[in-house]
Amino acid sequence: MTRLPGIPGLAPLVAFAGLLAGWEVAARGIGIDGLPPASRALAEVPGILADPESLINIGASLYRMALGFALGVAVAVPVGLMMGRSRHVAAFFNPLLMVIYPVPKAALMPIIMLWLGVGDASKTLVIFLGVSLPVVYHSYQGGRAVEEKMLWSAAAMGMGAPARLLRIVLPAALPEILVGCRTGLVLALITMVTSEMIARQSGVGNILFNSLDMAQYDTVYAMIVIIGVLGLALDAAFERLRAALVGWAEPSQALMVGTT
Amino acid sequence: MIRISSRTLGLALLAATALGVAQANAQQTIRVGWTIPAEESKYWMMRRPDQFPAIGKDYKIEWVQFQGTAPMVQAMAAGALDCSTQGVLSMAQGAIQANLETYIVAQHVGERPGSFSVYWAVKEDSPIKTIADLKGKSVGTNVFGSGILGPMFLLLKKHGVDPQKDIKLVETGFPPSEDAIRQGRVDAGVLVQPFAARAEGKGGLRKLFALADQQQNIVHIMDVCRKDFVDKNPELTRRYVKDLTAGMGKALADRAETLKVVSEVIKAPVPVLDTFLLKPNDFAREPGAAPNFAAIQAMLDIYTETGMISKKLDAAKFKHPSIVAPIQ
Repeated sequence: MTRLPGIPGLAPLVAFAGLLAGWEVAARGIGIDGLPPASRALAEVPGILADPESLINIGASLYRMALGFALGVAVAVPVGLMMGRSRHVAAFFNPLLMVIYPVPKAALMPIIMLWLGVGDASKTLVIFLGVSLPVVYHSYQGGRAVEEKMLWSAAAMGMGAPARLLRIVLPAALPEILVGCRTGLVLALITMVTSEMIARQSGVGNILFNSLDMAQYDTVYAMIVIIGVLGLALDAAFERLRAALVGWAEPSQALMVGTT
Repeated sequence: MIRISSRTLGLALLAATALGVAQANAQQTIRVGWTIPAEESKYWMMRRPDQFPAIGKDYKIEWVQFQGTAPMVQAMAAGALDCSTQGVLSMAQGAIQANLETYIVAQHVGERPGSFSVYWAVKEDSPIKTIADLKGKSVGTNVFGSGILGPMFLLLKKHGVDPQKDIKLVETGFPPSEDAIRQGRVDAGVLVQPFAARAEGKGGLRKLFALADQQQNIVHIMDVCRKDFVDKNPELTRRYVKDLTAGMGKALADRAETLKVVSEVIKAPVPVLDTFLLKPNDFAREPGAAPNFAAIQAMLDIYTETGMISKKLDAAKFKHPSIVAPIQ
């Protein structure tokens, strides 16, 4: 059996090229407006990226995504770790999470809009909810897996509970927490787009959904490609950060987005 | 006993006055919901604010784009919007189901004799030749419960087709409707501009019936404002409606610039818009954006007759004595 040469990044490139080729052939074969060939969609990408207004819109979405992600991580990590170390905290939060987890976050948008209005706050909250659940879950698992002996030793040496959580549980659980953050990052991107489906003042939705409404399918697919590439870039950057922080914990190849 | 010095009292009064002024200034912002397409006067106000001296000086507009009119009803009912685009049906449903009291302040587009009328098309070689032939067929619509279905249902009934039993209504949306007809996913599909112009350019489809076959002067999109907001801020609303009036005037007076403005907003190329926008094959726009209350009443009556709204409504109750386009 022939093996692909060991050039870094070759396998994803081949997969991407295969996807584009399949898309091109399918679109030309089916021949409907709703599925333009990949070549036509990709030809739209430079125009979108060269338009200052489009960049402002993409920037506005990324700002909300970053804010929602940061808030989600800031809240979810302590909650998850406390759940992992306390049966009572876990018993309190688990039923709530079980109820919230399967609800599509975009479906909450009309209700959240009633509470927080139609501005950035409601969209950021949807992103926050999307991010926080996987981060809570992985932090919980990470917190639970910490060696009891380490905690006993620390307690024997006079370390208080908050200090143990910060100085022992958090570093020990960090590999698992970062797996949750990686999933959360992808979900932040997804909820960033869906949060703009109903109402928006700025954002990628201005390009994506307006083009869809006007049947400008080349632009629609070009935006999907841009969002996809953005997701890949963010994921790759995060993976590098993860490897730098906790590369000792496990090989990065073991992680696949969407499998967590 | 707590003693308050005259200086403290003076400072407090000053702070309260400043707060009052700040609140008064804050009131000069109007939150407006909009959507695409066919709101040219608003697009002018958004993209060419320098053409409207009061915008940014006497008052501000906070624009929020929505995907359709139904979520704007929710947002208005929640107090998150002051004014928004509405169809006659969504406004009526908001009034009945959410007790949303509104005034119709302007009209964006509608139909009149000779203008574009929303129509259903079939494939050129389809065996469906008349409305009666639709029995047992699938018929596309933009969305279930859409405002265009009221007159359409009445027309079907007139031709012996029960819209509840004799056809299978399929939600295609407007943009994919042409593809749905050509691919045979629906036997008849609904077309509006700009998709109708594009489909006609390609050929291969045949118009079966239009809403105008049922009634003339259909009102499609209006601008409405919350009654409590208008009653509290009559001057602010008046300025807004005055600018809507002016915006409609500019849109009709300078087609070339309107094409650019609309293209900037809806991200469709000018050549695409040029096939229909503000041409005889486009929807009708009333000069001065004046709402046609008689036509709105006729539509309310149709919605009651077809069971799309649960009670009769009086269009006159949606009319403010003075704050209604045109305001010069």
